Amino acid sequence: MTHVDTIELFDGMAKEMNTHPERFTPLGELELDLVCVMRSPRETERVRLVFDGLRCRVLASVEGDERGADCWLDGDVAAWRDMFDDIRAHGAATGGYTLNSLTLLGERIRLGGADPMGVDKFSRFNQSLQEFFDGAARLHLAAV
Amino acid sequence: MAVTDTDYSDLPKESPVGEPLDWAWLRGVRSEWGVRPKPGPRGLTMMDIAVGDYGEVPDRPAHRSMAPRGADIEGETPDMGYILNKKSDVWAENVRELYEEAVARQCSATRDIPWGDLQELPDDVEHAICQVCTTLAEVEMIASDLPAKWMWRMNHDFLEAKMFLCTQIMDEARHSEVFRKRALANGGGLLKSRAGPSSLLRTIIEAKTYTQATALMHLLGEGFVLDLFRQGELIAPGPVEKKIFRMAMQDEARHVAYGTMHIRYAIEQDPDVADEIHAALDHGEMVLTEFGTSPDLGSALAVLLAGGVEHVEDKGFPMQGELIAKQFTSYLARCERAGISRLDRTEIPLDLLGIDPEKIRAMVA
Repeated sequence: MTHVDTIELFDGMAKEMNTHPERFTPLGELELDLVCVMRSPRETERVRLVFDGLRCRVLASVEGDERGADCWLDGDVAAWRDMFDDIRAHGAATGGYTLNSLTLLGERIRLGGADPMGVDKFSRFNQSLQEFFDGAARLHLAAV
Repeated sequence: MAVTDTDYSDLPKESPVGEPLDWAWLRGVRSEWGVRPKPGPRGLTMMDIAVGDYGEVPDRPAHRSMAPRGADIEGETPDMGYILNKKSDVWAENVRELYEEAVARQCSATRDIPWGDLQELPDDVEHAICQVCTTLAEVEMIASDLPAKWMWRMNHDFLEAKMFLCTQIMDEARHSEVFRKRALANGGGLLKSRAGPSSLLRTIIEAKTYTQATALMHLLGEGFVLDLFRQGELIAPGPVEKKIFRMAMQDEARHVAYGTMHIRYAIEQDPDVADEIHAALDHGEMVLTEFGTSPDLGSALAVLLAGGVEHVEDKGFPMQGELIAKQFTSYLARCERAGISRLDRTEIPLDLLGIDPEKIRAMVA
């Protein structure tokens, strides 16, 4: 069992992207530094995703790191878990569980950034980013 | 200077038909020969070849011809009639990257939208999406016409900026295409077109300077439309329309990124430019607000947000108000980033929209 707020899950998604560039080629390369902030009563975990072309590197991250990223996604672990549950159930995010939907009203997962240009990168590369997260459906890891 | 050790002195002085020949290009020229930029993992990008003198974009080019920047250019060159001859007139620091991004991320409105999956919709919802598509089909093409109006006036040394604008022209052609196709594809059609959008579009196309034009179009108009496309998640009645909005959103965000950083560069190089941009945005914000609250677009969006006319008052309009506040918040934050703060000048009713200027300042600080 892999908890959603651990680096293992994101490592798996990065490996999925790096070994299957053909899924991302039609969407085009991306250049994005994104931090995922996952909050729970016991602690807050941060994972940094550095996208370069058709590759992703995953880095452990600490409090405040997100200020240096292009943008960040910040929400409760429960919200992240619901998103991954939907991805695993349907093979890709559906309805209100796409990144764009979740962050649009920002009630459960909020899109943030220290620079509006960084925030707009979320829109510029949105479909590649969604494909990256949808990769969780193909992992042999049960996210809990 | 490029130097060659090879002796080419025996080459003919005349062509077979008796025309004089000049072999200067073979003997060596003043350009940088042998720079050999290395391709990266993505191939050979415009960033890769911006090496040495080839990568230097002059603030005020010496020539007004179409000679390629970095070539061995003769003293006498034809004047192409360029009027944008300062780098700060058109440049943005991110323009090379944006060009490569645009080329890598092109899609097809014919092939990449699953048109066959369109579902039968209730009559009011089909009418509403067709009205939104009608308005978008009308306004999107301004972002093709405007760069086309100015590009032939841009000094050719600013090639990368012109190349990026070519991609924008293609993007906006595709947006006009995709919204026109959607209006027709599901049993509906094109609906109302009124003076409102034309007033906005005329304001943009008639801007007196390119920098005013880009403030009105990229920062204000496209920024507004970018957020509208983001809202496609809530507006779209089905997965096909969601896909349309998502794909268009990616393109629109590039255009906004260029405009924001162009204005920033222009103001950094010449702070006096800020006055003309403010003047343009004073008027632009007024006509954009009229456009955004026009009776056709506004009501059609509210119906889509409500899922039909039944809940347009208790759900559609309140949700729309919330989203409009987000649109203006994004716009004002981009203005801060562009170095053209509007927070103390704008006539947009920030109080009414629930927008706190201090939060925007803090966001960008």
